[in-house]
Amino acid sequence: MAEGIILENVVKTYGSGDTAVHALRGVDMAVAKGEVVGLIGPSGSGKSTLLKCLGAVIEPTSGKMTIGDQCIYDNGWKVRDLRALRRDMIGFIFQAPYLIPFLDVTDNVALLPMLAGKANAEARKMARDLLDALDVGHRAAGMPSQLSGGEQQRVAIARALINRPPVILADEPTAPLDGQRALAVVGLLNDMARQFDTAIIIVTHDEKIIPTFKRLYNIRDGRTVEEVQGQAA
Amino acid sequence: MISLAGRDILHGWGKFVLTGMGLGLLIGVTLSMAGVYRGMVDDAQALLDNSRADLWVVQKDTLGPYAEPSSLTEDSERPIQAMRGVAQAAGVTYLTMQIAHGDKDVRVMVVGAEMGEPGLPGQPTHLISGRQIVRGHYEAVADVKTGFAIGDHVRVRRNLYTIVGLTSRMVSSGGDPMLFLSLKDAQTAQFQKDSDAIVRQRARTAANPQLNPPGNPAVAQAVNAVQSGNTNVNAILVTITPDANPDEVAADIRRWQRLTVYTRAEMEEILVQKLIANSARQIAMFLVILSIVSAAIVAFIIYTMTIGKIREIAVLKLIGTRNRTISWMILQQALGLGLIGFIVGKIAASLWAPFFPKYVLLLPSDSILGFVAVMLICTLASFLAIQAAIKVDPAEAIGG
Repeated sequence: MAEGIILENVVKTYGSGDTAVHALRGVDMAVAKGEVVGLIGPSGSGKSTLLKCLGAVIEPTSGKMTIGDQCIYDNGWKVRDLRALRRDMIGFIFQAPYLIPFLDVTDNVALLPMLAGKANAEARKMARDLLDALDVGHRAAGMPSQLSGGEQQRVAIARALINRPPVILADEPTAPLDGQRALAVVGLLNDMARQFDTAIIIVTHDEKIIPTFKRLYNIRDGRTVEEVQGQAA
Repeated sequence: MISLAGRDILHGWGKFVLTGMGLGLLIGVTLSMAGVYRGMVDDAQALLDNSRADLWVVQKDTLGPYAEPSSLTEDSERPIQAMRGVAQAAGVTYLTMQIAHGDKDVRVMVVGAEMGEPGLPGQPTHLISGRQIVRGHYEAVADVKTGFAIGDHVRVRRNLYTIVGLTSRMVSSGGDPMLFLSLKDAQTAQFQKDSDAIVRQRARTAANPQLNPPGNPAVAQAVNAVQSGNTNVNAILVTITPDANPDEVAADIRRWQRLTVYTRAEMEEILVQKLIANSARQIAMFLVILSIVSAAIVAFIIYTMTIGKIREIAVLKLIGTRNRTISWMILQQALGLGLIGFIVGKIAASLWAPFFPKYVLLLPSDSILGFVAVMLICTLASFLAIQAAIKVDPAEAIGG
């Protein structure tokens, strides 16, 4: 399977000298396209820092990161426009859906292709098709506040998928959901990963969904340990 | 690309409109202040227009009759009338006083004008009902702003006058409505002494052998007549012939009559630059303060609105929205707020202007200037919020 994202010896140190904090001490990670992996670890282990590095929000101190076949970081950014990189190559799903409250469901999803320069009508058609695929097409004209928590999370997933990014980063996407809904969301993400050939990294503490991952990365003291599980979705 | 600002405004339009209305009332007050100043200038110009004079002849070395007291003899009128370039000349008196009307007082400017022939300068213009003064005594024409009606009787000093005509926009430079009397009546009202003073004056005359020589009572009578009467006026209003140059006629009068003469431009300068200068500066200070307060309020509102959307802004930035798109959204909202505020302010100022005791003149040019100023203030006020939005770290959308 082609790799969606590869991290090689990624280091992130905040500050310098005696006060330096080594958040990531050499992370190695590889997630194939169409694969969903879990990223777990205790608080303060470096999960958020890793996610921010992966999301091109903060710059690692050293190492190498590749998305698809494009090296985006090799001891320095290799892409000039990180904003465009995030828009076109990385999808984000947050702990809470964080939908834009003043845009309707369709435009929440269509905003990304619009930002990428697509015509409004075309972007909205893409959004509606995706919302239909995620079974929330009937709420396309509604406002986020009118949707249930599960529906909002599906819309957030649609927003992450709309530009067909090679990688999706999900930051505790099931935290606000009960067990049934949490498993449904993970199932949906697995389906979407396969359908859209996207690598999905799910950061989670949720004991209910951890057994569903075939592969897990456990991060401790800034280093990842790969774990392969027998049972998975 | 959709309008993020438009969607945000539509989403919370009630809150936005209410905020805009609050700002609008403040803008309304600002526009009204400008209107008050314009009204003062207009009152001054109306005073000059309505006098229908080209030249104002006043006591030497005074700024009379509006800005300083001026007194000159009525007789000065005749030699002026005979001068080259002079079409008409008429004496006029001005006296600001309180007049009782029913159970309340009305502050008026009593104008004494020569009523001998129609069209003389100083006579009431813009008659909206009734007629001009035709009798020599005890008739008056009042501005509608006095609240008097035709047939009303008003007391000026000792005498009662009947209102026979009503005018409009006949006001003093201070905005007090005018009450026109015949020149003789106005001179009586302005210069007449009270009875006790007359009695004392007569006693002094009688006791003075030079003014009351024994065996010749006619001298004392003549002296008393001179002392009780008064033929002074505050100014002589002059109109010039169509071919005459006002500056040349004014120069001739100054040279030959040894009086001070003002042309229309000079009198306008006295009224606007000197008489209402302090009020204008006062209003200008208010305008500056109100503009600063408006800017601070807009800045605070837009900043608060932006801070309330920090998470959304972080998400927007994380998913690839440019800083300039977010800045434009904030600027559009600030301008939208300003637009609503201006519309509400303009409507409010127009609605409450007639209720001001003084004339409030809302000029379209001031409204355009006000609109530009509001938009400029909103633009400047949005900078603080834009700065805050630009500083938002997209990482805030992830974890913490």
